[in-house]
Amino acid sequence: MLTIEKLTAGYGASAVLHGIDLSVADGQVVAVIGPNGAGKTTLMRTISGLLSARSGHIRLDGQEIGQIPANRLARLSLAHVPEGRRVFAPLSVEDNLLLGGYSRLPKLFGFASKARPDLDRVYDLFPKLRERRRQSAGTLSGGEQQMLAIGRALMIKPRLLLLDEPSMGLAPVMVQEVFATIKRLRSEGTTMLLVEQFAESALALADYAYVMEGGRIAFSGRASDLAVDPRVIEIYLNGGDQGNAP
Amino acid sequence: MITKRQATEATALLLMAVVPLVFGGNAYIMGLITLVVIYAITLIGLDVTVGYLGQVNLGHAAFMALGAYAAGLATTKLGWSMAPSLLAAMLVGLVTGALLALPALRLEGPQFALATLSFASLVVILLNELEGLTNGAQGLSLVRPALFGIKLSPAGFYWMCLALLSLIWMGMRNLLSSHWGRSFEALRDSPIATDAVGVSVYGRKVTAFALGSSLGGLAGGLYGFDFQYLQPDSFRYDLMVILLLGVVLGGRKSLWGALLGAVLIVMLPNLLSARPVFATIAILGFVASLLAAWHRRRISSTISFQAAAPIAATGLMVLGGLFAQSLEDWRKAVFALILFAVVVGLPEGVMGCVERALAGLFRVGRRPLPLPCSLDEVLPAQEPDQEPGLENNGAVRLEVVGLSCRFGGLVALDRFNMKVRAGEVHGLIGPNGSGKSTAINVISGLYPPATGYVRLDGRLLPSGNLVRAARAGIGRTFQNLQLFFGLSALENVMVALRHVYCLPLPLIMLGFGVREEETARSEALSLLNLVGLGDHAEIKAQDLPYGAQRFLEIARALACRPRLLILDEPAAGLSLPDIKTLLGIMDRIRERRIPVILIEHHMDVVAQLCDRVTVLDGGKVIATGTPGEIQTDPEVIRAYLGSIACTGGACTGVANNKTSSAAC
Amino acid sequence: MELINNGQMLVSGAAMGFVYALVAYGFQMTYATSKSINFGQGELVMVSTFISLTAAESGLPYALVVPLGLLVGAGLGLFVERVAVRFALAQKSEGWILMTIILGLFAISAAENIWGKDERPFPTPIGRASLDIGGGIGVTPVELSVALGVILVMVLIEVFRRWTLLGKAVDAVSADRDAAELMGISATTAIAISYALSGAVAAFAGILVAPITSVGPSMAATLILKAFSVAVVAGLQSGGGVAVVGIGLGILESLASFHIGSGWRETPGLILLILALALRPNGIFGKAIIRKV
Repeated sequence: MLTIEKLTAGYGASAVLHGIDLSVADGQVVAVIGPNGAGKTTLMRTISGLLSARSGHIRLDGQEIGQIPANRLARLSLAHVPEGRRVFAPLSVEDNLLLGGYSRLPKLFGFASKARPDLDRVYDLFPKLRERRRQSAGTLSGGEQQMLAIGRALMIKPRLLLLDEPSMGLAPVMVQEVFATIKRLRSEGTTMLLVEQFAESALALADYAYVMEGGRIAFSGRASDLAVDPRVIEIYLNGGDQGNAP
Repeated sequence: MITKRQATEATALLLMAVVPLVFGGNAYIMGLITLVVIYAITLIGLDVTVGYLGQVNLGHAAFMALGAYAAGLATTKLGWSMAPSLLAAMLVGLVTGALLALPALRLEGPQFALATLSFASLVVILLNELEGLTNGAQGLSLVRPALFGIKLSPAGFYWMCLALLSLIWMGMRNLLSSHWGRSFEALRDSPIATDAVGVSVYGRKVTAFALGSSLGGLAGGLYGFDFQYLQPDSFRYDLMVILLLGVVLGGRKSLWGALLGAVLIVMLPNLLSARPVFATIAILGFVASLLAAWHRRRISSTISFQAAAPIAATGLMVLGGLFAQSLEDWRKAVFALILFAVVVGLPEGVMGCVERALAGLFRVGRRPLPLPCSLDEVLPAQEPDQEPGLENNGAVRLEVVGLSCRFGGLVALDRFNMKVRAGEVHGLIGPNGSGKSTAINVISGLYPPATGYVRLDGRLLPSGNLVRAARAGIGRTFQNLQLFFGLSALENVMVALRHVYCLPLPLIMLGFGVREEETARSEALSLLNLVGLGDHAEIKAQDLPYGAQRFLEIARALACRPRLLILDEPAAGLSLPDIKTLLGIMDRIRERRIPVILIEHHMDVVAQLCDRVTVLDGGKVIATGTPGEIQTDPEVIRAYLGSIACTGGACTGVANNKTSSAAC
Repeated sequence: MELINNGQMLVSGAAMGFVYALVAYGFQMTYATSKSINFGQGELVMVSTFISLTAAESGLPYALVVPLGLLVGAGLGLFVERVAVRFALAQKSEGWILMTIILGLFAISAAENIWGKDERPFPTPIGRASLDIGGGIGVTPVELSVALGVILVMVLIEVFRRWTLLGKAVDAVSADRDAAELMGISATTAIAISYALSGAVAAFAGILVAPITSVGPSMAATLILKAFSVAVVAGLQSGGGVAVVGIGLGILESLASFHIGSGWRETPGLILLILALALRPNGIFGKAIIRKV
């Protein structure tokens, strides 16, 4: 599905990613974990086209997408739930969801009826959103906004779903609910690339995982293996090799 | 010692001064060069806002109008002589400029431009309608008054204008090479960091704007005495466009650019009356933009807007030059086309290009660095206390009580409490989005809290005001670097050395700021040494390696002599040797007993550096204690590792991660 | 008599106020998507009105002149966005302020040379005979058409924004540009659409107001200053409030010109603007902005 080779990217003069190799197979859930500032979010932004690749390759089902801007990638059924949710705060919940389907719905009229089945599917997944569909998205709680952000991305009918720190800034109960949702999506066969700071929860969900550090892949392996790998705990509680020496 | 720059300036002045000796009898040429000097003065004033502050100012023509009428009325109604009338013109510019700037500079971007535009229209209406005073649209005739009892010939008037220009030129040079000039660069690079070192962006902007306006007023007064007739309509929109043309064409942020711009806008109308000359220049411009496009094409294969637009604009000018019936009728369109081509294709203006070309030819000699002064002078150690690090031993320096902060529906910080004691390094940790950054942003005055307050050394900190919090003793760094990237490392630190700079602005313009400047250089160098950047003092911040940039931010924060230092993830993205350097820097800060709040993700950096640690999760404090206590706290482990099975009750820690994973 | 005069001023002032509101509404649209506005919007109004006038004089029926004017306005709006705004926005600079002023300057010069500097009447099939609406206060059908036209266009655009997906997409770009891009919405297109709409409503305002003010190269110079005032006073980022502020300003300046003198007509708007900026920098209906680090 997704293959990344020797990818470099960054902002302005500074490079953040220094040669990333990563792949996601059809139906797989792949987690990317690592400490803050490792470049996880930059990786996601580069895949979804918000940031263009400096060098290397990103291929989606064989098609090179490294230089395609974000607004055309949605049409290729790549969905990205960005870090910090980024819902359209002044718009209603339902409008947020409808805009998720923007790339495949009629632009002027008749889009609502065409989107109905997909809307219902999202509402079934997140009944809270149905209750609040007329409310403006900015008034939702953090957890509900995360549901909305995921629901909005599902409206793209993604073949690949990128999830960037879905648990960030949420209360523990909500974190639990978000992970339950991701689990459900996995059981429905959604292919996902998940960036998460909570290593343990992420590893419990994923089939395979990459550990990032300093803009590089430090190591990778089957999620169940990594979950008991002492190096993971090391990185999390002690800042990895960097932190060990002083 | 005379520098190359001073020699050039003196030569130019001399050349301009001898013109009347050669062409004194030619009224036309005398008129032109007098106008050049007057325009140069007003353009230097306009360049202060448009160039140095980087804001679009559409009100400058109005300050000229106000100055012109102030001087004109002072002579006609009050019978004042030259010097006091011009002084009045300048003061009117200064005061109205300040009055406009006070509200308008709280705005950004288009709103500021709109405010100045409205002000300009208002002034023209007032001058037209207050007929009793200004004679309205009929215009005001006036006689050029004597200067200190001497009746001025055209050449004499020109020399007087030239003398004023030289004074202003020198004053601006002194200003720009002082901490004022540096703060202009700083506030364009990072207004937030400028505020955070206690240099008020707003205050600087208002002062600079008023100063620029006073030059506009002075130039207006001269303009009136030059033409000896005033009409409100000569200060309309058209004049504003011509002035902007002058600044942009000549080159922003450059005194020479202002002079060159003045020459160009005085020459332009004459250019339009001679069609062959105009057509030639248009064709030259067209060829130049074609060449530029061709040059660019070799770099990238697509023709960019930046290459195409000047070609189109100059192409239209060529057509106009060859076929238009009367070029004079198309005057505004020609101005528009020239402006358009320059703004897009030559954003630095003519002088910007010349300066770049010259910079390659002449290497400007650097001033040698002074000896660093002793660190105790720069950063006096704060009051010694009992043993640091011991429980509840030091006096409480910072007290945070019940701080809450909301963004939309999100509670970013929920009744946050914290105490930092003397000489203590206090860690603030927690997962992403737990409210750490919000907490320090509220403490440092970037965000106003919804509830709660902060006390520093017993005094309430002003809430929601970065500048006043900085002046009250908060020094901070930023998670995303907020350096003044265009300034050298040394200059970055100098911007923050507020305690060194005491001289008032007029004295600085008169050239008395040199001593302060030397002190600041040596103090800044000493701070750079503290963070290990003494050898990189003259390197531009943007060219420093990443780690050095982080340390430079610490040095800059220390330059404020903070009573509390906040470090926001200083180790983020640092390499191993850099982290060692950081630990060394932290030791030296600790020696000076400055209390520190440290946000950090590397748990063992925290363990090594911090005396106490506060852990945030979901905007709430979930634990406070020594690093040892924190590292074994089950709640903290849960928050960090996210064992979701543990949310309900006790969690036995890292060891059971296998079981908790299985639970979900 | 005094009362009747004041009432009369109220009516004609309100009619102008509707026009200010409409142009200001256009400013809000582009500001929402791109944080930029066309400083040469007055010249856009002038050029599109001249083109409509030329069409009307060459015999095009009024019913076709209006849609033509709207199209021309939309086209000019697109041109402004492409030539003066897009480049500056890509560089994250405020160069667009200067660039749009430059385009306006060019337009004035071109209009002076093509159509002449004289003021010309704008033909309209709508009657000018005053209708008494009670108490001796009259309202002309032209004034009525202005009010109705403005309301109609505003309603149409609100319908577009609320009931079409494209309209919602434009709002989405205003709310969060990156997130909108991730949904497949091109921010560049959304900004272009907002400029086209803004140009169209401004052109419509020109056609509505032309029978009252007549057509000339500087016809919109003051109109635009007041539309700026209305937009800023009501808040550049808020949709509501422009109509209220616009009508209020129209009435105020009509009263000012009647009681103080016609030369003072422009002052209330300018003073209101400077006061509003001083007291409520984000507009009466605007929201405070949070500085991000």
